[in-house]
Amino acid sequence: MKAWLRKWFIAPRQLRALGVLGLNARNGRYLLPNNPRRFYRRVDDKVLTKELAAAAGIATPPTYAVVESPAQARDFDRLVAGREDFVVKPARGSGGRGIVVVAERDGGDYVKTSGARLGPREMSWHLTNILGGLYSLGGSRDQAIVEYRVRPAPIFERISFLGVPDIRVVMFHGYPVMAMLRLATRASDGRANLHQGAVGVGIDLATGQALHAVCRNNVVSIHPDTKFPLHDVLIPGWEPLLDLATRCYEITGLGYLGVDMMVDRERGPLLIELNARPGLAIQVANHDGLEPRFQRVAAHLRALAAPEPPPVRAAFSRATFGRIHAG
Amino acid sequence: MKWRIQFYGLMVLLLVAGFGLAAYKVFALRMPFWPGAADLQWVVEARVAFFVDPARPESQVIASLALPDPPAREGDFRESAASLQYGFTIRDDGSGRRAVWTASGRQGPQTLYYRVAFREPEKSRERFPQVQPPPPPRPPIFDEGEDIAAREIVAEARSRSADVRSFAIEVLRRIPPDSRTPEVALLYRVYRRDRSPDEARAALAEDLFRAAGIPARRAQGVWLDESRGAQEPVPLIEVYDGSAWQVINPAEPEKPLPRQLFVWNRGGRSLIDVERAGENSRVTFTAVRELVDSRDGGTLAGAPVWAAILQSLPVSERAVFRFIIMVPIGALVVVLLRNLAGVPTLGTFMPVLIALSFSQMDSLPAALALFALVISVGLYFRFLLSRLNLLVVPRVAACVVIVTLLMVATSVASYHLGLDAGLGITLFPMIILAWTIERMSLLWDEEGAAAALGQVGGSLMVAVAAYLVMGLAVVRHWCYYFPELLLVVLAAIILLGRYTGYRLSELHRFRHFRPPA
Repeated sequence: MKAWLRKWFIAPRQLRALGVLGLNARNGRYLLPNNPRRFYRRVDDKVLTKELAAAAGIATPPTYAVVESPAQARDFDRLVAGREDFVVKPARGSGGRGIVVVAERDGGDYVKTSGARLGPREMSWHLTNILGGLYSLGGSRDQAIVEYRVRPAPIFERISFLGVPDIRVVMFHGYPVMAMLRLATRASDGRANLHQGAVGVGIDLATGQALHAVCRNNVVSIHPDTKFPLHDVLIPGWEPLLDLATRCYEITGLGYLGVDMMVDRERGPLLIELNARPGLAIQVANHDGLEPRFQRVAAHLRALAAPEPPPVRAAFSRATFGRIHAG
Repeated sequence: MKWRIQFYGLMVLLLVAGFGLAAYKVFALRMPFWPGAADLQWVVEARVAFFVDPARPESQVIASLALPDPPAREGDFRESAASLQYGFTIRDDGSGRRAVWTASGRQGPQTLYYRVAFREPEKSRERFPQVQPPPPPRPPIFDEGEDIAAREIVAEARSRSADVRSFAIEVLRRIPPDSRTPEVALLYRVYRRDRSPDEARAALAEDLFRAAGIPARRAQGVWLDESRGAQEPVPLIEVYDGSAWQVINPAEPEKPLPRQLFVWNRGGRSLIDVERAGENSRVTFTAVRELVDSRDGGTLAGAPVWAAILQSLPVSERAVFRFIIMVPIGALVVVLLRNLAGVPTLGTFMPVLIALSFSQMDSLPAALALFALVISVGLYFRFLLSRLNLLVVPRVAACVVIVTLLMVATSVASYHLGLDAGLGITLFPMIILAWTIERMSLLWDEEGAAAALGQVGGSLMVAVAAYLVMGLAVVRHWCYYFPELLLVVLAAIILLGRYTGYRLSELHRFRHFRPPA
């Protein structure tokens, strides 16, 4: 009985010792007190997020069009005339739901990265579904964003199966506290959600170097589909990425924030979306708990006389939470 | 710090109010804290409703209701009346007791209540001896055709019977309300006017007995059965067999009067009389089993309103509250299973609604089977619907229609197969089920069958847990007789809302954090 328990469960004491954050603690101690409800719209509505980001000089994938009405959805062909590839996403979607990545067009059809085809009628049906709120939080009416398709930097193209790898940074009051790289797999169907079978790679905040990788809760050393050795991953241009993430605090005002970014081979780091309720899987990918890091930031904030600008905050996080020291 | 004081102050307040009131009721009012420690009594409420026409010049209203006779043993029979601004007395005019309400200057719809509590009768009283035989009955006035028909029925019945009782049985057998025999149909043409089929049968039977020279009169009964809710008076008939009046239920003349059929009014009196300005009078009865402390005879009826909150309501409303008062318990179970155990569910409180609908069905396995049937067939149709590329709201609405039709189909099918279980399905929350199907099919598409089935399984598990907890006799007893304990439930839920420890599911999810041994 006891052995069985130990096989399937960990003692709460051990988790606490590592500072692993549970859902109740995330919601009760970090989310509710630090994220004022009125700011949620800034991250939940991607049209607004992109406007705010543009005003702050944060790069996002350029928007081609915003579909707001069923008439536009029917007329989608004309809306994307001249665009060979693009991404359609619900403005209020979450967890990658409802996103269609069109890699090329063939006659009237849209060809997804997976090779699957969408006819023009299927596409406009998908758009009306988005508008009807099928993917939005709470089922409210929504808009569909048509935007630039990110082309991964060559290194990422070799690691990931389908889909562009994305980098998630969890921030606490503007200080990056933990980062991970999410890689789509065949099992996750090109999506970067860990619970759907994507690979999560914990990333060292100081250097952008991979620390630890998991897939479906198991430690892995190579990508299950591309066989790329994950411990060799070093994210290029880590400093500008972290700077971009850090600056997102100013546009949201949310104390507990998840920043999702991608690296485009031409445009460099781009903000993809912000999340006011970032999940806990990042702890599994890093094999480390969030809570001690939150407390370290809180202590730092208490000692401060004036708020620090983003570059100083990023530097603090790299020095404090980095595990590998460059040079 | 201030926050902490407020928080714990609120906790203490809720706990003291909840437990304090309950303790007062247990120790001072001697209400039994545990179920089974007390006797249950039947409480029957008569609700008299009528209308006062404001155009009538007369302003006085006198309403009277025939009352049952108190049994010989004292203390087993408690009565009370509730009626705003009406004078109330109980009079005995020789033929029996009557409740009399009087008022003047009333207008519009009026409602009067009379309530009586008594111990469950050991057997029904159906014979009421009367030494002095009543005068021979006056024969009813029939027209020619009716007279021939009546004579024929009486003659036939007489030829097959030996005594008054068997004669009554024979007559009643010949006049079922749905009879196609020409004579009976002819007679019913008159008796059916303004009467329900059962009343018409009783009225016709009374006249047929009289035509045969047997003293007969009408009576009314009430079913002692909680599941009936508000019921119309049951038309009964009394016949004099030479030494006693016998009460017969015309619907089942062969059987002795069932114990659950309480004879409310006999002796040929009218059940209600509304004089002067009142019109359209109607009486309905509600019977519930209530707790009465057997130790010192103190009743909840005598308790102050704040101590017997639910018991101060009209009986007809109490049944609803018995149901409603369980909802917070279901909510508590959901909080426990979600925030402590981390069971995934589809929709937060959907399991509570499912559990409530389960509690209306007799057997849990049947309820689960029906739930599974509706969900799986609904899911199948939902997949067919998805090919039609419908918009979201119409698609869910279509699902509602399909779920409704499924419920109708299951009810009809199970009724014709003789399975009672299918009938309770009508209480399944249809909109919730339709959304469940919709969400489940989305999950199925996006995250695979495992996630969808996992969440439905989780929801069902929570629903079954809530159902089992809500079904505990002790929980039902506390909720109904000590509703103030819900303040304690509230305190528990608020405390759980501050719980920021791990969920059981997280101890599994994060199991790999164990340091390598």
